[in-house]
Amino acid sequence: MDFRERILTAINHQEPDRVPVMGLVMDPATVDRILERQPADLVGLLQNPDLAEDIVSTVNTNDAWNSFYYGNTAGALESAVKLGFDANWTIYALMKLHRDPESALGYAYYDAFGRVWELGRTEGGGTAVNYSRPLCPTEEQWEAWVERNAVLFDTIVENTAAFHRKLVEEYGDKILPIGYAAPGIFENSWQPIGFVNFTRLVYEKPDFVKRVIAFHTELYLRSVEAVMQSGVELVLGGDDLGHKTGPMMRPELIEGLLGESYRRVSELVHSFDKKLIWHSCGNIYKLLEMFIDWGFDGIITMEPTAGMELGKVREMVGHRLVLVGNLDVSHLLVKGTRQEIEDAVKLAIRDAGRGGGYILSACHSHPCVDGERLGWMVEAAHKYGKYPIDS
Amino acid sequence: MAGEALERLKNSLLDLDMQGALGAARAICDGGDNAVVKGAVEAVSDALQVVGKRFQEGEWFLAELVYAGEIAREVMNLLSPLMDAGASVSMGTVVVGTVAGDLHDLGKNIFINYAKSAGFTVIDLGIDVPCDKFIAAVKEHRPLALGMSCLLTSTDAEIGRVIQALKGENLRQEVKVIIGGAALTAGFARQAGADAFAPDAVTGTDIIRGWSAG
Repeated sequence: MDFRERILTAINHQEPDRVPVMGLVMDPATVDRILERQPADLVGLLQNPDLAEDIVSTVNTNDAWNSFYYGNTAGALESAVKLGFDANWTIYALMKLHRDPESALGYAYYDAFGRVWELGRTEGGGTAVNYSRPLCPTEEQWEAWVERNAVLFDTIVENTAAFHRKLVEEYGDKILPIGYAAPGIFENSWQPIGFVNFTRLVYEKPDFVKRVIAFHTELYLRSVEAVMQSGVELVLGGDDLGHKTGPMMRPELIEGLLGESYRRVSELVHSFDKKLIWHSCGNIYKLLEMFIDWGFDGIITMEPTAGMELGKVREMVGHRLVLVGNLDVSHLLVKGTRQEIEDAVKLAIRDAGRGGGYILSACHSHPCVDGERLGWMVEAAHKYGKYPIDS
Repeated sequence: MAGEALERLKNSLLDLDMQGALGAARAICDGGDNAVVKGAVEAVSDALQVVGKRFQEGEWFLAELVYAGEIAREVMNLLSPLMDAGASVSMGTVVVGTVAGDLHDLGKNIFINYAKSAGFTVIDLGIDVPCDKFIAAVKEHRPLALGMSCLLTSTDAEIGRVIQALKGENLRQEVKVIIGGAALTAGFARQAGADAFAPDAVTGTDIIRGWSAG
């Protein structure tokens, strides 16, 4: 079997020749280490007063951003190919550099949805980007932001389609690019407002919250469709609905606010005769039945540090969901020994591999995930993942 | 009459009724009776303990925990100016911050809300707190506990660095260290030399309450 057959067989809950392995390679720091590239020191450039404004004006053009961002993702796919993955996720994002007096650097990325992303330096001298705060904490600020950025939302949809299409054309014969429409409806709704403010609005101005979610639902459906039109064969959607010990909100509240939106996403993906794998961080045991009800075909992540155990999930959902995950990225794929990684791979395959419907992967990505350890994970999957899987 | 207002305050908080809770608090403030104000503070603290229990038992979720904390914070904003200076005894001081390189503050802020409502004096150092700032705050405030929040694996080494610096300054024996955050586990806490790991704000408050009593 080739990588495509292997993944698509597993997605259909059949046993391929061996357990497929999916990469969540994304962070430039990880990619640079795998490809032995010199990292781009964007922070250093922005700290240079003679260069900073030129950098900002260059990065902020649509073409330059797309070229820069495509280069990062192409590097991620090259890394995943080099390590022997069958598939890798691909995510489009649109951000602009802004002067930002609240950030330590004096500059930060603002994304189209109204989030601030702070830039920092990784240990290797590359750039790390993290969500830090909302730009639209009030109803009035959110309304003004959405109105001001209407054109940008159309640009995102156009860029998303072109970005994924180019990746499929360039890498589709080497690896399966799995197009991910992100961030999701819930994240795009609360993060530009802030979780505390958003929670207050849920209780105090529910109509406004419904309007925000309705807005992001329509935009998200357009993004998902753009991903699918690129020719990707498998679609990832997602929203971080869990935190360390449970769902971010009461499941009935999530159903009331978001259930219909998620059903529409599933229906759209299925209307293209494709499967939808859903990403959610955190402890999501209490949402698993809802995922099935919403029409998701699979889930990816299941963070061990949030108490998620692959075997327990399989026991709860059987083969009603494809499972993708869930090797730890807090220790195992950062500092773990080869033996620890091999043991974790064996355990994951034992817990979820039988009968197909399982793709092995890291549970997430971040700049400290180590390329060499990802390689060990792939090697162990090749060694222990051949079907039939012994009990 | 006062008992009725206190009951209304507690019940409104447990019903997540912001306006009801604020109305009850305003009525208590208008009464001008310091003993009743003190009773109101205790009612808020009691209510939040019930909220915490509901959260830990899986009956309530993060959003409810946050909103109950917000109601408590607004009620305390009304009550605090009327409280007699020195009338309430602090359960102890806790210095709290998110470690250097990490900008996340949601979990930390929820913990602060609950710790304050439980009667602790909280010194919030904010986010991206360098090691020397934690040490300086421990020296200055001599707290019962130092709380460090860390969401990112890329910054978890900061926790060990701060604990080593506490040892280097001969402060480790004087302060309990509690840590929490998405990247962390109880195993990590043991390895780093922390006294406790809190998976959530309520458990964290329970732990420091235990230390305060012990």
